[in-house]
Amino acid sequence: MSSGPGGETGFPASAVAAAGPHVARRRPRAVGERTLHALAPYLLLAPAALVIIAVLGYPLYLVGRLSFEQFGLAELITKKGTWIGLDNYSRLFHDRQFWTVLLRTIVFTVVTVGLTMTFGTLIGLLLMKLGRFMRLLLSTGLVLVWATPVVVAVNIFRWMVDYEFGVLNWTLTELHLGDFLNKDWFADPKTGFAVIIALIVWGAIPFVAIMVYAGLSQVPAELLEAAEIDGARRWRAFKDITFPLLLPIFVILTSLSIIWDFQVFNQVWLMRGSEPEESYWLMSVYSFIEAFKLGEYGFGAAIAVVMVGIMFLATFVYLRQMIRMGETR
Amino acid sequence: MNRRMIGGALALAAALLVSAVAASTSSSSPKRQSATKVVIWLQNDAKNGWEQMVTSTNDAFKAKHPGVEVDVQYQGWGDHLTKFDAALAGGTAPDVIEFGNTETTRYMAGRLLQDLSSQAKSFPNSKTWLGALKDSCTYRGKLYCVPYYAGARAVIYRKDQYKAAGVKGTPKSLAAFQAAGMKLMKRYGKQRNYSALYFPGQYWYAAMSFVYDYGGKIAEFKNGKWQGTLTSPQAIQGLTRMKSVVRALSRASKTTDEANPQQALVFSKGRVGSFIGNGWEWPYALDEKVGDPSLADKIGAYPMPSHVAGKFMPTFLGGSDVAVPVTSKNKALAYDWIRIFTSVSSMRKLATIGKQIPNSTTLSSINARNPKLAPFTNASKYSWFVPTAPNWVKVENARVLKNLVQAIVTGRQSVAKAAKSASGQITKILNQPVT
Amino acid sequence: MSRRTLGRIGWNALGLFVFLVIIFPVYWMISTAFKEGQNVLADTPQFWPHPATLSNFDDAIHRQYFWDVVRNSLIIVTVVVSLSLVLAFLAALALAKFQFYGRGAFIVLILGVQMVPLNALIIPLYIQLSRAGLVNELTGVIITYLTFVLPFTVWTLRGFMLGIPRDLEEAAMVDGSSRFGAFVRILLPLIAPGMVATSIFAFIQAWNEYLIAYVLLNDAQKQTITVWLADFTTQRGTDWGPLMAAATLTALPVVVFFLLVHQKIAAGLTAGAVRG
Repeated sequence: MSSGPGGETGFPASAVAAAGPHVARRRPRAVGERTLHALAPYLLLAPAALVIIAVLGYPLYLVGRLSFEQFGLAELITKKGTWIGLDNYSRLFHDRQFWTVLLRTIVFTVVTVGLTMTFGTLIGLLLMKLGRFMRLLLSTGLVLVWATPVVVAVNIFRWMVDYEFGVLNWTLTELHLGDFLNKDWFADPKTGFAVIIALIVWGAIPFVAIMVYAGLSQVPAELLEAAEIDGARRWRAFKDITFPLLLPIFVILTSLSIIWDFQVFNQVWLMRGSEPEESYWLMSVYSFIEAFKLGEYGFGAAIAVVMVGIMFLATFVYLRQMIRMGETR
Repeated sequence: MNRRMIGGALALAAALLVSAVAASTSSSSPKRQSATKVVIWLQNDAKNGWEQMVTSTNDAFKAKHPGVEVDVQYQGWGDHLTKFDAALAGGTAPDVIEFGNTETTRYMAGRLLQDLSSQAKSFPNSKTWLGALKDSCTYRGKLYCVPYYAGARAVIYRKDQYKAAGVKGTPKSLAAFQAAGMKLMKRYGKQRNYSALYFPGQYWYAAMSFVYDYGGKIAEFKNGKWQGTLTSPQAIQGLTRMKSVVRALSRASKTTDEANPQQALVFSKGRVGSFIGNGWEWPYALDEKVGDPSLADKIGAYPMPSHVAGKFMPTFLGGSDVAVPVTSKNKALAYDWIRIFTSVSSMRKLATIGKQIPNSTTLSSINARNPKLAPFTNASKYSWFVPTAPNWVKVENARVLKNLVQAIVTGRQSVAKAAKSASGQITKILNQPVT
Repeated sequence: MSRRTLGRIGWNALGLFVFLVIIFPVYWMISTAFKEGQNVLADTPQFWPHPATLSNFDDAIHRQYFWDVVRNSLIIVTVVVSLSLVLAFLAALALAKFQFYGRGAFIVLILGVQMVPLNALIIPLYIQLSRAGLVNELTGVIITYLTFVLPFTVWTLRGFMLGIPRDLEEAAMVDGSSRFGAFVRILLPLIAPGMVATSIFAFIQAWNEYLIAYVLLNDAQKQTITVWLADFTTQRGTDWGPLMAAATLTALPVVVFFLLVHQKIAAGLTAGAVRG
């Protein structure tokens, strides 16, 4: 592994400053070159776009079409659903359960994303403050957490809060914090969700922390150090230097976290023994049960489409800004 | 952005595109399958418990059909139906598939399984198949699958604790059972997490046995409509009795089921006097890896007694069936594989190696001589099964019965109120149009 | 001791505390892997495996197909990580440095793709891949993972590219080195932290995914390590000791990968220092 190529790539600041005027000068371009420049972004995008469209294009279309169809188990073989227009959607919007689950999912998402971003960012910032060894230790720990397969993580958390053998109940009782012997965390969906959210936040912190840390390490260290010495300007340094640089990454992480947490499935599903009580249903659990457990693939697809719509709404402001902004630099 | 860098990136992108096109044209020659292959999906219980039965079936099958390949693919319980649904849609479903006996109705109602009625007789022991398993394969009078094996539940108990608490012999009536439990609680109940009967609050299979014991039912089909019947006096009697037994004898979690944690393991820790479990849970409690082998001499089992002295309480008969999806291109071969798989000699292996209950009443003698299996085989003679309504799975998915039992044992609702609400839901769900 | 040193110690102490809290569940997994079966679920939890045993690891490694699934997972991950980085790098370049027609559509596409719940996609995806003859082939899993990982990697790399000061890029021009040389020597090191972070993401996604691999791959010797892990659970319950041992082994390659690449993040730190 190469150690810090800073030596080779480093440009003296003066050279960089001096380079400015030269760059501004452009020689007239030939027509061919101009066309190439216009085509360049498309050519650069093409490989990624083609892969995504080739693999997901048809499936996405199919999900959309299914949502307008009566499509049950038997249709899996005949592959011919019956077009029923908006029936699936009107049934969905008239389903009280849908609104309950939607509201629950939104609250769940807000809490989870909030906690994930807060703790993730704080730990990312903390990483910058640590000495070499501590930093390696903590970031390795983060990666270990991140690398724990969800199935295993769920089981570990389930044990920790287990009614019969849980280490949490045992510890709380030993610490004389109350009588937690045979405390049933899932009896009340509030404490049950607290466990589930703890699991998800725990699993998502490494991602956010490492991304934030990677973003921070793009920030010129000298400036930060200068700011650190001058305590009074610390907050301003953060505001003026760190934050603007971190902003794109921060926005990305938040929008992705929203998208991911809104779709949480495995953690709830496995934590409640593949049979979540209705008070534990989130949107994707609801969709899965309708489609795979009840064989209503059309209705399940409609739920999925509505979920996509809601997520678009949730990220709308951000999206519009992204698209509008001329971000080329 | 520097044009030079862009140029380099562009060259890379172009190269990628060209190679992708080249790759997609070169790889578009599908492989031809030469030999006929029968694909079988079994659950991994077979692999971990009685693989010899599978290998001997395959050997016999290959001897009979030289040149035909058999490919047994083992599945886990969690997602095997998701995979099956996807495979059906993609046209690559297996030729034979194992279902849990509560999973079949949906597929029978959807006409996704081959109708076997006309050749039912060609399958071994078809006349003496266990009733509850055969029921799970029958939809509107037609047969869609073949019973594979069953599991019945009986009381697994600590002989030493019974003796120390002064219980003589095994209880022959529910009243005696409860009295024995009270003696155990008196002797050991000072230990705060001790249960004379470990009975988690969502263990609805065991709870519904009380309903059936008093002559109640979950639902019945009358005049073309389903009717939830948990409000009948018999059902209420059963549920009330269940509540008093559980509340007096169990200190298990009221929000979990018998599998989380595995009740046999709780039992092996020594603070449980008895639990209602499957035949395999006895050796599991003694397993040297996870259980406690030192309990070997201290464990016994007996069928759960009925409230009518001398009779047994009906047990839920769980189990598995094997079926042939309508998409199979090798149906004749698939049937033949099933015939060998459910033959008497295969069933013998299942009973002796796998410690399961074979699919036929005529084979129960195999286990009758084994004291560790006989109680379960005896219990299986009085069994009940869930209503075979196409929408039954929706009742299970809505957790109607788990919620019912939980509401009753926690005392959150009165028996009558909880039963009324559950029964109403059942009526409503079962009469929804079948999709 | 100066205030600064005190501050350092304080921060490191806090770091240690965070480390201990966050690592506990992982510690529980690893320590369980060394416990004897009877002590896995104990009335008094065992914080330290006593007696410790290696038999769970022995059990896990000697299960059927262990080496097959390890090989398959490594192949899948290697291809997915390298392809996604290259493709995402190119696409991110277009998004970050060009203004062009259709840019908005592409952004909507890559964000939108991530919004569709996986459950709803399984059957359509399966139909599509079985038409292409890619069911029960590692290739099918690889391209599926690629499409799931790409949106994120494109997105993130774009963010990191936006963070590069313009002057520095332009400085490369006067540097006068060859095209590709400039490209590799200047741009890559600058976004190295981003590349590393996204590659860890891609690696973990591809390494830990379960459902797609389970549904698409049929032959036992073609499956991936997470699908193989599921085999420790039957109706009779779960083999906790061996499962935790296997899960510990499963996490190892990720950690090794991280230790190999983590210095790049620090490298980016150095590179950042000279930006003015």
